[in-house]
Amino acid sequence: MPERPRQLHVNVNILQAGVFGGSWRFPGTGPLSSYRLDHYLRVARKAEAALLDAVFLADGAAIRDNIRYRPTSSLEPTIVLTAIARVTERIGLIGTLSSSFNDPFNVARRLATLDQLSGGRAGWNVVTTADAASARNFGLDQAVEHGLRYEIAAEFVAVVRALWQSWEPGALVADRERGVFADTSKIHAIDHHGAHFAVAGPLNVPGSPQGEPVIVQAGASNDGRALAARVGEVVFTAADTRAAAREYYLDVKSRAAAFGRRPDEIVILPGLSTVVGSTDAEVRQRRELLSELVHPRYAIGRLAGQLGLPEETLALDRPLPFELLPEPEQATGSRTFHGIVVETARREQLTVRQLLHRLGGGMGHRIVAGTPEQIADTMIDWVDHGAADGFNVMPDVLPEGFDDFADQVIPELQRRGRFRTGYEGTTLRQHLGLPEPAYVRPRAGAGSGAVDE
Amino acid sequence: MSDDGLHFLVNVTGAGYHRAAWLDPDVPPGSFIDVGYYQGVAETAERGLFDALLLPDIPQQNAGIATGPTQSLEPTLLCTALAVTTERVGFIPTLSTSFNRPYNLARRVLSLDHASNGRGGWNVVTTAAPGAAANFGQEVLPREDRYRRAAEFVDLANRLWDGWEDGALVGDQQSGEFADPAKIHPAAHHGEFFDVEGPLNVPRSPQGRPVIVQAGASDPGIRFAATHAEVVYGAQLSLPGAAEFAREVRAIAAAHGRDGDQIRFLPALVPVVAPTEQEAAERWEHLQSRLPPGPTEAARLEAALWLAPGILGGDVDSPLAPEIFTHSQIPHEGFPRAAARFAAETGYSAREFARHIAGGHRLVIGSTQQVADHIEEWWRAGAVDGFTIAPPALAHDLQSFVDLVVPELQRRGIYRDRYPGRTLRANLGLPVPANPFAALVDTAK
Repeated sequence: MPERPRQLHVNVNILQAGVFGGSWRFPGTGPLSSYRLDHYLRVARKAEAALLDAVFLADGAAIRDNIRYRPTSSLEPTIVLTAIARVTERIGLIGTLSSSFNDPFNVARRLATLDQLSGGRAGWNVVTTADAASARNFGLDQAVEHGLRYEIAAEFVAVVRALWQSWEPGALVADRERGVFADTSKIHAIDHHGAHFAVAGPLNVPGSPQGEPVIVQAGASNDGRALAARVGEVVFTAADTRAAAREYYLDVKSRAAAFGRRPDEIVILPGLSTVVGSTDAEVRQRRELLSELVHPRYAIGRLAGQLGLPEETLALDRPLPFELLPEPEQATGSRTFHGIVVETARREQLTVRQLLHRLGGGMGHRIVAGTPEQIADTMIDWVDHGAADGFNVMPDVLPEGFDDFADQVIPELQRRGRFRTGYEGTTLRQHLGLPEPAYVRPRAGAGSGAVDE
Repeated sequence: MSDDGLHFLVNVTGAGYHRAAWLDPDVPPGSFIDVGYYQGVAETAERGLFDALLLPDIPQQNAGIATGPTQSLEPTLLCTALAVTTERVGFIPTLSTSFNRPYNLARRVLSLDHASNGRGGWNVVTTAAPGAAANFGQEVLPREDRYRRAAEFVDLANRLWDGWEDGALVGDQQSGEFADPAKIHPAAHHGEFFDVEGPLNVPRSPQGRPVIVQAGASDPGIRFAATHAEVVYGAQLSLPGAAEFAREVRAIAAAHGRDGDQIRFLPALVPVVAPTEQEAAERWEHLQSRLPPGPTEAARLEAALWLAPGILGGDVDSPLAPEIFTHSQIPHEGFPRAAARFAAETGYSAREFARHIAGGHRLVIGSTQQVADHIEEWWRAGAVDGFTIAPPALAHDLQSFVDLVVPELQRRGIYRDRYPGRTLRANLGLPVPANPFAALVDTAK
């Protein structure tokens, strides 16, 4: 019997009204829909009908002036995912929560709760949050320095995972005869005292239906890759060429090996902005319109922010002012995007206008505009060349552009035997083919100290 | 007293307010983490036209897990899960001002409020438990400091919630104007405990703002309730005590320029109701018989009333001295105060006391008529606007209350026969708060 061809993993990133700055203006789109829960429920139902691995919610904890031109993150992701859990049965639920502006106990508890409410479908995208506007909502003037942010993130994740292991399997006894509800000798404090956090534990939520929620990470800098390799089970990345994706893929999987992890314990999913059309002409037209709908002031402002430059240094019909650019290692914002954007502009000698058109609001993620067959070709090509295990799909317009992806691209992948035709498991971990972490009793301080009196 | 009739919340915790509730074979052991179980409770409450579910919470693993379910699922998420599958009943998660960050909390509660189309509230607690503090690398602050922090926290949350004026979102697809930044205001808060720039990234609530709920009992707690709460619950054991408490809170509120009549008083009530008095008494006995027996009757009663072990000296039938509650084992100030007053007013013995008080709240065991009489008497006296029902066994006793007492109160014309509105605020009869930012603009014009 021939070996089953490699299966793709596909998430949908419900990025407001769509990935482009002007998606909310696309004809037929409800401009304010991303501020309403229904929008997310609708996309999630469609994603489940299309058998996707998970829905993914990005997040930011601030609005800036760019809200003048486009929607921003709004409803809190764990709230939205909980609502989605109630109207779906199988699809995974991945939410973004910052390790810089949360407390580990609360994060561990919310994700464990989502995991219980969804029957084991929760995932946590760990971000360190680079922007100053967010920092100012949490008592800081600016973001914590890059290296320290990642150091804090690593400890944060370790604490959260230890809390998730507070309850040993079998701790819940519920013996009515003896009047014993839980065996507290099997509920363990974690007694964590680290450089950045002190957390006693135990968590007050029993163990997960999937062992533990899935850890998702996206990092391109050296520190980011190191963290992804150490703790990431799903790694979300931005790469606009197959070669760049391949380099990243090999690097993270080899770094992971150094932590004693097998390559198949990490699922790498580059972001993929999709523009689906039935003919080449239709695709071109749609892509053109999406570019036109991005407000130029927004596009310039955002690019300037990403590059760490004042807005007035960018002129639409001139090249990027390369001489003014900070070195990537000194950039304050996300280095992932910074590196890719500058590299593209230099390589192809683009004007700002051309660069913006190229990015179209996709900002460093690969944009694939094509017919369903062409998009499937690209997806399979990347996977077969060891550049990806699947994709975090960022549709051009939500929900409509995703409907096209779900109705046309997914069946194409299925016809080629590269995507599931039915869910085989019930948990996110099972969809992704990830192992359930074995129960490891937290290394607590002295004594069993099970339950805080 | 509200002139729109009675209001009810239901206290939703574990298998119920009674420690032995989970021993009922009808309650599956996993109920406390099963959304389906809570869904049943929400549906019963909605059928009974309750204003809201109130979810007590503490961010720690309570030691009581050894002998029964404790709070587990995070309450804003559990409330969201239930909001999606209900239409009218409100949701009030308990969240601590000591172990949350204002921006995150304000955002989550407002997100719940949007997810429920305006049915969200927040029960504000300061959390005095050292075990909870240890989960956040902290020690418990002194009470005065905790309440000062809470006041700053709630003021800041309100300011963040007010940050968006109505109409801030434009969504003009033609011009490309998505929002009007002039209608989105930063909090620019720099206080003793917090520095938060804002604005929040969530638009204004469908009900203006989520409803602020609080259980004030200590002096700073009462002050806090009077200055910040829109719904006040907590322990009130006697009618005169409840009336005096409401008068006091309203007076302090008025001194701070608030309309005291716009505060809803909904103290906790533990009802054990059945068609007849005899059946209700049997129901209570049935629950009590499942508790582990104490070594002696006196020891059992001391534990039930949070008295110091041995303080009764074996005497369970003489009137209790009010001072006995000064040495109460409960870490809240409200209960000892209310219990001492109740002892003085009633002259009850420990044995009688334990038939009127359960877990620190007023217990009423009786027929449909008797429980309705108790409720009507307190309401007509102007002491309360209604009650926060704490069913001994959550599903079973809430159902009895809704099936028996609710129709009786409706027959008496003191309880609504339909929901008056679609938001929690509308159902509580509370006004939609004006947006001070919008008001500023109006004045400037």
